[in-house]
Amino acid sequence: MSTSEDVREPVRRRRKGAAPRRVGFTGRMMLPGIVPLAALTVLPFLTIVVMSFSDVRLLGGMRLDFAGLKNWGRFFTDPEMGWFWLRTAGYFALTLGLEMVLGVVLALCVWRLVRGRNLVLSLLLLPMFVAPVIVGLLGRFLTDPTFGLYTWLLERVGYDGDLLGGTFTAFAAVVAMDVWEWTPLIALITLAGLSAVPPTLREAAALDGAGRWQTLRHIVLPSISNVLLVALLIRAMDAIRYFDIIWVTTNGGPANATKIVPVRLYETAFRFFDFGYAAVVGLAMLFASIVVARLFVRMLDRKGLAR
Amino acid sequence: MVDQEPSVISRRRTLGGALAGGAAFAAGGLLNGCATRGDVRRRDTADPWRRFAGCTLNFVSENTAPTSAIAADAERFTALTGIHVNIVTLELSALVQKVALDLASGQSQYQIIYADSYQVLAPYADGLVDLREPASDDSLPGDDSDLADFFPLQMDVSGRFGRGDRVLALPYDCATMIWQYREDLFEAHHERMANDLGFDPTPGPQRSWEEYYRIAEWFNDNVDEVSYGTGHQAKQHDSLMCDFSNVLFAHGGQYFENGEHIGRFGAVDPGPSTLGSEEALAGAEFYRRLLSVADPASTTWDWTGLGAAFAAGRVAMCPNWHEFAADNERSLPGRVGYTTLPSGPAKSANMYGGAGIAINGNTAPNERDAAWLFLKWATSRKTQLRNLTGEVGGATPTRSSIYRAPEIRRAQQRPTGMPTMLTAPAVQQAWKPEYSGLRPKIPMWNECDTAIYTELSRMLAGDAAPRRAMRDARDHIDRIVSRGWVAAE
Repeated sequence: MSTSEDVREPVRRRRKGAAPRRVGFTGRMMLPGIVPLAALTVLPFLTIVVMSFSDVRLLGGMRLDFAGLKNWGRFFTDPEMGWFWLRTAGYFALTLGLEMVLGVVLALCVWRLVRGRNLVLSLLLLPMFVAPVIVGLLGRFLTDPTFGLYTWLLERVGYDGDLLGGTFTAFAAVVAMDVWEWTPLIALITLAGLSAVPPTLREAAALDGAGRWQTLRHIVLPSISNVLLVALLIRAMDAIRYFDIIWVTTNGGPANATKIVPVRLYETAFRFFDFGYAAVVGLAMLFASIVVARLFVRMLDRKGLAR
Repeated sequence: MVDQEPSVISRRRTLGGALAGGAAFAAGGLLNGCATRGDVRRRDTADPWRRFAGCTLNFVSENTAPTSAIAADAERFTALTGIHVNIVTLELSALVQKVALDLASGQSQYQIIYADSYQVLAPYADGLVDLREPASDDSLPGDDSDLADFFPLQMDVSGRFGRGDRVLALPYDCATMIWQYREDLFEAHHERMANDLGFDPTPGPQRSWEEYYRIAEWFNDNVDEVSYGTGHQAKQHDSLMCDFSNVLFAHGGQYFENGEHIGRFGAVDPGPSTLGSEEALAGAEFYRRLLSVADPASTTWDWTGLGAAFAAGRVAMCPNWHEFAADNERSLPGRVGYTTLPSGPAKSANMYGGAGIAINGNTAPNERDAAWLFLKWATSRKTQLRNLTGEVGGATPTRSSIYRAPEIRRAQQRPTGMPTMLTAPAVQQAWKPEYSGLRPKIPMWNECDTAIYTELSRMLAGDAAPRRAMRDARDHIDRIVSRGWVAAE
């Protein structure tokens, strides 16, 4: 005969977590993947945390000397760091915003195409297959004041300035290069979403007298909003660590107009070899990435798409 | 029979195992990476050049003209010594990363290093071999008196660091900024220019920067063959600091007190910056004024961009590295002249950007001696002469005796098969202390350099007045210097 006390016991144990959740056959099968993953992510992460509290000396073999909060203190008092973050935020918002708008517009255009859709889609996707560093080099050559095609075209229409020479135009140019390369990705993902919009829904809207704009506003966009959110997440993660094109075209200039945090991080680590401070900047970037990712995941969660 | 509980692993154990496995995996990799490499074998042979026959050395270098010529000629070294040399050429910043990480590994993946005076020699001087030891080793070919043949300025800037007589690298590359101008245009418009400007416009150190400015303006207004009178390498890049430094030094400004000494011999603690001085301010004000009449594209050009623009006939003159002479002769044969840069109130300063060739301090004893043989050979009179006249060509000798050779003297006049030698009179003058321009040789120069060209870029973009740009650059440099150099202490 059992008492009520006996019945409650296993429940209490589980609540306290004394009975561990088991990882069975699946877990063991995943182990060969998890072990190298831990080696490749957890250890470097821990090393970077330790480095952020150290002076890193290179000569005669790497050595870490404890430096306390020196590097972190410098990070929060660096007079330029705030500007780098602000510029990064501006860059992030501009590239992401433009890519989303243009990507959706392009996808809608291709979606409505009846003939030649595959050909147009193939051409549209081409920039995406070019390595970012090549996009940067292309951009640099096309805007070169001596032999650049774009410079020549702009001169024909009366603009004789230098695209990469002015603070505003240089910023706009590197944003444009990123937008050129990655808008096709958004278009492709959106197009996949559009293909899944049930035709019956659109037909029903048409029968109810909905115009094109109303159909787009009330039927199509709500139907693909989940897909757009995923596209936004993918691009956001990429945009936050944008580096190649800026490094190749402007080197962060002119007047630091295009120097964003990843460029500063690269400089600190691999030009100044100040690995302690670079570790702090890297960790701050990681934190920013996690915040942005969490934001999007929460939005996905609310829509029931995260699981 | 008792039913056995299925074998299960807790999540905690899984994560613990993963961490332990990861640690073991990484430790294994580290240990493997740290495995000590053996020294090369020393043979008993009468020929001192063949003592290390059969070994292989790695040479990491910037992709410069001397290394291209050496790479094309490396078979000769192998034939002479039996040593095989792998040559890896990289862009300068990639080279500096490789060297830093190689030194950090405590190994010597690269036994022979291209030692840029500011990015390798100054920060990692203690990681390089003092070459006086192998030079004075009687069992090895050559002797240390041979070192006296290098230009003294180059020997000090590219080969030494700090106090003492240590020789850490042999001068190998000697890029120098000089005045490059369209000789054809200067000749064609000489009379008119002289009448309009009121002075003889013939380029040379007798011209002042102020006259250079007026010549540039004159070309802008009066000549159709070129778009602009002058072009500059004023991109937010190392090139902007180099271009500005010529003007700064000419006006009597310096980055630090006792700047010429720090530029020539180097210092770990250079003291407070002197960029806030009136001379520095005068230099900055003039530089901004000069850029206002220069080709507007100047702010997007580094030295390569400027070289291409000059060769394309876009500008009539520019200060640029002498090594662009070969490109100029290909694009504008017989139409380009070379001379030292104009003078300011203080001097004519011509930025020296040479580099040395050094041996990694982590090398084993025999490996070190084998590397010394390569250094001797690569900087020998015969090799430098061959590199100058060979198919690849383009390298500029660092040994003074070569410039006294009759064939080299002849090559300084057109027609010549050695276009770089057209610059020889100008660069030889620029290597005299009174004409040289030397940026500070300090370990933290890269960061100071970035601060300087960023503030200059702000000034040129109109975001900061010259006084503020110089003050901000000074404050930034002082912050960097006060932190000291931690990477190689």
